[in-house]
Amino acid sequence: MRTSVIGIGLVALTVGVAAQAAGQGLIFDARRIGMGGLTLGRSASLVRYNPAYRAVPEAADRRGRPRLTIPIPLGIIQFLHDHPHLSTDPAFHPDSAGFNPILAVNTLLNLPIFLEVKRAPTPTNDVVFGIGKDSLRVNLGEAAKLVPEDQFGFGGSSRLLDPGLSIKGVRVGVVGWLHYDIGVQLNDQLLGFLRDSVQALPRTGYGVLGDGIAEGGFAPTVSYAGRVAGDSSTGVYVGGALHYYLGVAYIRSSISAGFRTGDSIFTGPNPVTPLDSGLTSYSRPGNALGHGVGGDVGVAWISGPIELGIGVNDIGATLTWSDTRQDSVFYRDSSFSKPVANHVSTTTKLPVSYVANVTYTVGKTTLGADVLNAGRGATVHVGGEQRIGLIALRGGVARDQRKRIEFGFGGGVRLGPFGLDVGFWTHTNSLSNERGVTMATSFSLY
Amino acid sequence: MRATWLWMTVLAGLAAACGEGHAIFNVDVYSFIKGTGDDSIPYFVPPGPPDSASSTPRRIDLPGAGSSIVDSVVVNGKVNFDNQAGAGTIGLQLYLDSTAAGTMNASALALTVPDANVSGNVPTPDTIIGRLSSNVISLLAGKQVWIRFQAKGSNSGVVLLQGSAVLKGLRLTVVMNDKFF
Repeated sequence: MRTSVIGIGLVALTVGVAAQAAGQGLIFDARRIGMGGLTLGRSASLVRYNPAYRAVPEAADRRGRPRLTIPIPLGIIQFLHDHPHLSTDPAFHPDSAGFNPILAVNTLLNLPIFLEVKRAPTPTNDVVFGIGKDSLRVNLGEAAKLVPEDQFGFGGSSRLLDPGLSIKGVRVGVVGWLHYDIGVQLNDQLLGFLRDSVQALPRTGYGVLGDGIAEGGFAPTVSYAGRVAGDSSTGVYVGGALHYYLGVAYIRSSISAGFRTGDSIFTGPNPVTPLDSGLTSYSRPGNALGHGVGGDVGVAWISGPIELGIGVNDIGATLTWSDTRQDSVFYRDSSFSKPVANHVSTTTKLPVSYVANVTYTVGKTTLGADVLNAGRGATVHVGGEQRIGLIALRGGVARDQRKRIEFGFGGGVRLGPFGLDVGFWTHTNSLSNERGVTMATSFSLY
Repeated sequence: MRATWLWMTVLAGLAAACGEGHAIFNVDVYSFIKGTGDDSIPYFVPPGPPDSASSTPRRIDLPGAGSSIVDSVVVNGKVNFDNQAGAGTIGLQLYLDSTAAGTMNASALALTVPDANVSGNVPTPDTIIGRLSSNVISLLAGKQVWIRFQAKGSNSGVVLLQGSAVLKGLRLTVVMNDKFF
C-alpha cells in the first residue's frame, strides 16, 4: 500500500522530468556528449531515419571518427561506492524509514552511467499547508515550478532489428518495430492547487488525464538506396522503403483518474471520493495480426565539405487491428474493468518521424547540426569539433523536446589507434529547477 | 481510510517536491469550532476558591503526516471575555489528546493563556499566543486530534463572577521535519 502511494504521488513529477530525459536521449559516447549530442558521420540515427544514407559510402577516416567507442562508466563506480549494499540500502526501499524518494527518482531519471560532477540541487524550501474546516491550500514555494503545466510524457518509435539482403541497392528484409507513447496532463483544478496555490474547493474533481499506447510487431520491407547523380565525392543519394506492417500486439488506454472532494474538505463522511474512468483497447499476442502499409523516404547530398540530408519515416503507417477487445475501466469502491466490445476492428497510427542534418568540414574543423523528431517533439543539436594535432576540442548546444537548452563541451586525445575522450553536458533530468552537469568518458579505437 | 490515503497521495508528492525542507501546517482550529457552540464557554465563579468551566471536546481532522517529527507548534488567536457581572480574573487552558476522554486528563494540557482581569459588564479582549507543550505536539502528526478548552477563574469580589469566554480565532502553526513515508 505504501509503495503504491509513493508511486502515485511521485508519478507526475517523475514522468514530467522523464520526458526531458527522453528528449535528450541516452548517449554513451563522450565525443557526442562534448558536442551537445550532435552526431557526426554515419550515426545510427542518420541511417535509421534517412534511408538514403544506406548508399552514402562510409568515410571512417573523415572527421577523426573512431571505429569503436567504449564508454567508461565512472558513474557506476561512484554509485556503487556511495551505495555498496544496494539490495539492502534503505534509501531505495519504500518500506524503510530511511527511504529517500528524491534519491530514488533522481537515480531513475539520471542513470548513474557517467560521473555527476554537479548535482542539480533539489529544492529544499518549506512547504506550507493551510488547513481549515472547509479549506486546504498548499504553497510549494520554488518546488511548484516543478509541476508541469502542459501535457508531458515520452514516446517514440524504434526499430529493434533490421536483418536483410542487399543486391545493387535493393534490399529485402524484415524490420522489427515498436511504438510507445505516454502522455499525462494535470487537470486545471489540480494544476492550480499544486502550482498556483489555489485553495481546494468542495465538490470539485482533482485528477490527471492520461493517454498511452504501446504496439509492436514486424514489417517485411523492400527498400532502395543509391546515388542518382555525381560521384563518390559529390553526389546526390536517394532512398526509399516500403513496409508492410504486421502488428503482433497493442494496447491503448485513455484514463481520467483522481478524486473528487466532498461537501467539505476535511469533514463529513466522504471527504474525498476516488475517480477513475477510461477506456482500454488491446489486441493480445496470438490474436489476429494488425495490418498496415507505410513507407520511408530520404535524400542526402554530399558536396566536398558539405553534407545535407533529410529523411522521413513511417509515412501513412496506419494499422488495422481486426481482433480488438475494449474494456471500460471505472471505480466503484475499488477499480473494475468491464468488457465493452470484443473482436472489433480498431486502427492505430505510427508517428511520422524525421531527421534533417547538415555537416560542414574544413581542414581539421567540423561543424554540424541536426533536427530529429521521433514522434514527440523535435530535438535540435548544434556543435563542432576542432582537432589540433593529437588533441580534439568540442562544443555544442542542444534543445530538447521541452525546448530546454543544454550545453556540451569536452575534448580528447588520440594516440595512434587509441583515443580517450571526455565530455561535459548539462542536463535538467533531475527533480530540480537547476541544471546538473555530467562528465562522460569513453575510450575509442580508430 | 481510502480517502485518507488519497490525501496522503497528494501529500507524498508535495513532500517529495520540497526535498529536505520543512512542512508547515497552518491549522485554523477556530474554523472547526466556530458556530458549534463550543466556541463560547460560560463561566460562573462564586467568591472563594478558584473555579473552572469546560467546553465539550471537539475533533479536528488533519491530513496526517506519517512518521514526521513535529518540531514545534505555535498557537495564536483571540478570545473575548464577555463578563456580565462581578470582578476577578479569567484564564483559558487548551487540552489536546488523541481521544475525547483523554482531553480531560491533566497530562493533556497543551497551553495556558495567562489570566486576564475582568470586571462589570465589560468585554475584555485577550490574545492567545504561545507554544504548545512538547508533551502533546506529536499528536499533530496524526489524522485527528481532540481539543478541549477550559476557562478558569478567581473571584476577588463579593458577587458572582459570570460571563462567557468567547473564542474569536485560533490557529496552530505546526512545523514538521517531513517524513511522510
